[in-house]
Amino acid sequence: MPALPEAAGGSDEVLMERFCQGDAPAFDALFQRYARPIQGYLSRLTGSPATAEDLTQLTFLSLVRARGRFQEGARVRPWLYAIATNAARDHARRHRRPEDLTPEGELPLTAVADTPEPRDAGLERAVHRALEQLPEGQRVPILMHRFEGLGFAEIAEALGLTESAVKVRAHRGYARLRELLAPLHQETAE
Amino acid sequence: MTPECERVMDCLDGPLPPDLAAHAAGCEDCRALLEGFHALAPPVGGRAPSPMGSHLREAAPRQEALLLHEAAPRHDAPLLHEAAPSHEGPPLQEGAPRSDAPPINEAKLEETRRKSLTELAAAPLPTPWWRDVLVLLVTYLVVGAVGLAVVGRHGMLLNSAPSYVVAGVALLIVAGVGGGALLGLAPGRRRWPLGVVALGAGGVALAQLAGRSGVEARPFLTGTLGCLGTEVVLSVVPLALALVLLCRSAYQPVRALAAGLSSAGVGMLVLHVHCPDGAADHLMLGHLLPWMALAGVAVFIRSRLPSRTFAP
Repeated sequence: MPALPEAAGGSDEVLMERFCQGDAPAFDALFQRYARPIQGYLSRLTGSPATAEDLTQLTFLSLVRARGRFQEGARVRPWLYAIATNAARDHARRHRRPEDLTPEGELPLTAVADTPEPRDAGLERAVHRALEQLPEGQRVPILMHRFEGLGFAEIAEALGLTESAVKVRAHRGYARLRELLAPLHQETAE
Repeated sequence: MTPECERVMDCLDGPLPPDLAAHAAGCEDCRALLEGFHALAPPVGGRAPSPMGSHLREAAPRQEALLLHEAAPRHDAPLLHEAAPSHEGPPLQEGAPRSDAPPINEAKLEETRRKSLTELAAAPLPTPWWRDVLVLLVTYLVVGAVGLAVVGRHGMLLNSAPSYVVAGVALLIVAGVGGGALLGLAPGRRRWPLGVVALGAGGVALAQLAGRSGVEARPFLTGTLGCLGTEVVLSVVPLALALVLLCRSAYQPVRALAAGLSSAGVGMLVLHVHCPDGAADHLMLGHLLPWMALAGVAVFIRSRLPSRTFAP
């Protein structure tokens, strides 16, 4: 990618305002600022880097096409993560197959990863499995909070929920993760 | 969750103040929260502060082995992150997972950027969302007017209920149609609960039944099938347009339902003022049932249509 444009110094909202007026460098600055984090988020959310690449493209195309829906006074980052989350949900909804369903007949939370096995693959898988076992309502706030550095207010904005509701979900998710990872903790402690 | 627990959540990324550390030490919920939080990616080599007090830290299990990002392959230096301004979210710690994101395919990213810029160049100025609502409402108006002119060529206002009742129910339907269009297409910061839409639809339905004339002007089957067919025909154009416009944002069943009820409401409004039959069974099967069925069809079709954008 090219070097950061001059516009890169502005705040997200200033850049968004200029981008909404058709300013390509402002879009470029937003893209350079958020393309990698969004792709990382989507990669964690879907479990597939290849899917994440496609969804990142859809996210930024949506940003361009739907910028008329961006409301004055709103924050850009939660809006962008909302678009990315919607794209991932849509992808999951359209690509589910009967054989993908869990024994309980429910939709699995993520696809199988298509990356090569990293080092410490066992631990990596354990943590991924633990995250995958969380319901989407708890997993998405945790991914946004723990891995993307979003505050609870921003997550609430992105998910269209109240901040209290997001905190309750995240709290339950973290508590559940502790339970799910407890056996691994014991193993590593030994 | 107590207010203290909420404060603990707000301080997850840094050391807890003494009063919160004391609270967390004695609160099972907070212990579970903190341990779950750190199980994903704890501070590395003591670089980042532990939000737990030392008394809790001793009890905490060894977490270094559970680093998600340790296992993830490192990508090149996160230049983009460095360029980012400070966010309102919790500050990123050294060793926090975000800086070790999954590998990035630069070529694909460049393709994304190029495509986006091409799209931007093709349409430099955005279409404001309210224009879609306006287009839909104008379409409703035209379809309603033409529909009433066609079905009412031998008499437009044949509803024999008291005129103030007819007008009151008609206004309620108009409000429902307008509100549904707005709810379906306007960008909202909060998701509307399904119950609110269902309650609104139920209110409109009950008002129609309560304001019925009770007159049976035509044989039941003929009258009911006639009204049912008219309502379906009058709903085709508004429904099709609503579906096209709904695809300009992310799929949400509640939005699709609201837009479906709204667009099918145009035909129901025409029937309300024009139809001479005012029996409850006729209204339920000839007016209300197709209205709700068409809204269900709208949700079904929208769920199968591809979204042009995923904006909320």
